[in-house]
Parts: sequence; structure tokens; C-alpha cells
Amino acid sequence: MVVDKLYSFKKDLSRQGVFFCFSGPVSQDLLVEFGTILKQKIKLEMPRNAVALRVFSMVVEQAQNIIHYSAEKCPKDNKAGKEEELSIGIIAVGYESGHYFVLSGNVIEHQNVERLRKRLIKLRKMSKEELKKHYKEQRRKGPDIISKGAGLGFIDMAKKASRPIEFDFKTIDENYSFFSSKTVI
Amino acid sequence: MENLNIETTKYTPGISFDCKKNILEIIGESYPENIAEFYAPVFDWLEEYLGQLKDKQDVIINMELVYFNSSSSKVLLDFFDLMEDAVGNGKNIKVNWIYEEEDEDTLEFGKEFQEDFEELNINLVKKG
Repeated sequence: MVVDKLYSFKKDLSRQGVFFCFSGPVSQDLLVEFGTILKQKIKLEMPRNAVALRVFSMVVEQAQNIIHYSAEKCPKDNKAGKEEELSIGIIAVGYESGHYFVLSGNVIEHQNVERLRKRLIKLRKMSKEELKKHYKEQRRKGPDIISKGAGLGFIDMAKKASRPIEFDFKTIDENYSFFSSKTVI
Repeated sequence: MENLNIETTKYTPGISFDCKKNILEIIGESYPENIAEFYAPVFDWLEEYLGQLKDKQDVIINMELVYFNSSSSKVLLDFFDLMEDAVGNGKNIKVNWIYEEEDEDTLEFGKEFQEDFEELNINLVKKG
């Protein structure tokens, strides 16, 4: 990027309501730090603590999704094993029309697109009451604590969001797609 | 057996399980990257503890979780399952689900756990 483009880049983000944006390798320690600073910022703007906690919870779920499921890794062909791998993704947090929102994106393999799309379409059609029931059922039959997660992240976000989760898939090449989602608090 | 004490970190709760006083406390936030790594020793301890517990023994569990991620929520369900079984085996277990006044999400989670468990006594306690 040319140095004189940085300001217009920042202005672009601001125009779209984005006040926080991170693109690159995400780690557990990093998500703790940016989760904490976001919580602080929102608590200063919002009298209700619950809002800051909700934004925080979305950021944690999305960042952990990137860590666990992003197909974009650093280094690319890692022989040292999973522990050494970094997962790459993008997270943006903003405010528009009276609501905070969290955007998240990462690369996934084509073969996972349809399954994910189906799950998200299903969640979009559910009422709050149905989401609550679905969450409980999935938690009950979900994998045990040995797995990476419980597969509950998107249902939890859909429950806490003020409107259905928006999402998009863009084809990158013959093997990969880019998955984006937006949750509004 | 020995008590179990695990210090609070930024993303794992403090665990203070006292097998002499029969008070088990989990306080803090829970969103570790590797959920199994953190909770495996906690569940090992609990199984040993429940195994040696006398019939009709009173046990108090204080849970004060400001935030927990979705995979921790599954762990909490497993935790309450263990306790419900112990209640079925004649133990007298009481859970205090402690939440901050404005934290409606944690309160909601507490209500949902109440609905899921018939025999285990889960009290919703507003932090005063």
C-alpha cells in the first residue's frame, strides 16, 4: 500500500461505521487483548454493560472460529504440526443505526461451503424461541469436550443478535472460498 | 483427597474446590482456546470427589461466570449432568448461579439450565 492511501483507507472504514479492524494472524492472546479494549471502549459509550458483553462475546466466538477453522494458515506448508500454525482472518467491529455489529471473514475449503450455508440459512429462519430450543438440543448432543468446539458458536450468536446473521461466500480459486458473516447486536 | 485450586487467568475461571467444607466455586471468565486441556483435570477431580462423597452430604456450588463461550457452555452442561446424577444417588447438592444485575445473558443461561435439570437445585442469585 502506498503511504498516502492509508488515510483514505481509514476514512473508508469510518464511513461504513467501522471503528475497529484487524486483518492477519489471530491468536488466543490477541483476541483477549482486543476483546478487552473493545469492551472498555463500548462501556465508555454505552450505559448498559450488557451491550459491551454481547459485542465481546461475538468477537470471541468469531475470533475462535478463525483460529479453529480458517483454511488460510501461516506458514502455508507447515511441517512442525498444528500447534505451530497461525490462522489468518479478518474481524471488524462498528456501529450503525443505533447498533453495534461484528464482521468476520476467513478462507474455507469449497467442500465446507454448502454445509455451512445450509446451517446458516436454517438459523436465519428461526425465531428466538426456536433458536433457544435448537441451542439446547445441539448442546445436548454436541461433541464431548475433546473436540475443538461444541459447534454452538453460530447458534449462540444468532440467539444474542438483534437480527438474523448475514453471510456471504466468494470463490477464490478452484480449492478455496472466502466466508464472511455479519452479526448485529 | 486434596482440594483443587486453579488460579484465575484472563480466559479461564478460578477454581476453588474444597472437599473438606464441600464448597465448590468457579469464578471468572471461561473462553480458553483448548477447552479440553483446561477442564479435563477439573472433571477428573470431580469424579473422584463425587465417588467418595457420603450419602445425603450437603454440597454447595457457587458459580459466578461473567462470560463464557459456547464451548464452555457445553462443559457446564456436562458439569450439571454429573451433579444431577449425584443428586439421583442421594447427595444434597445446591448450585448458586450468580449473575450481575445488568447481565441478562448470564441470567438467561441460568434460567435455561434450570429448565434442563429437574432434580438438581439451581438458584439464580443476583450479585448484591
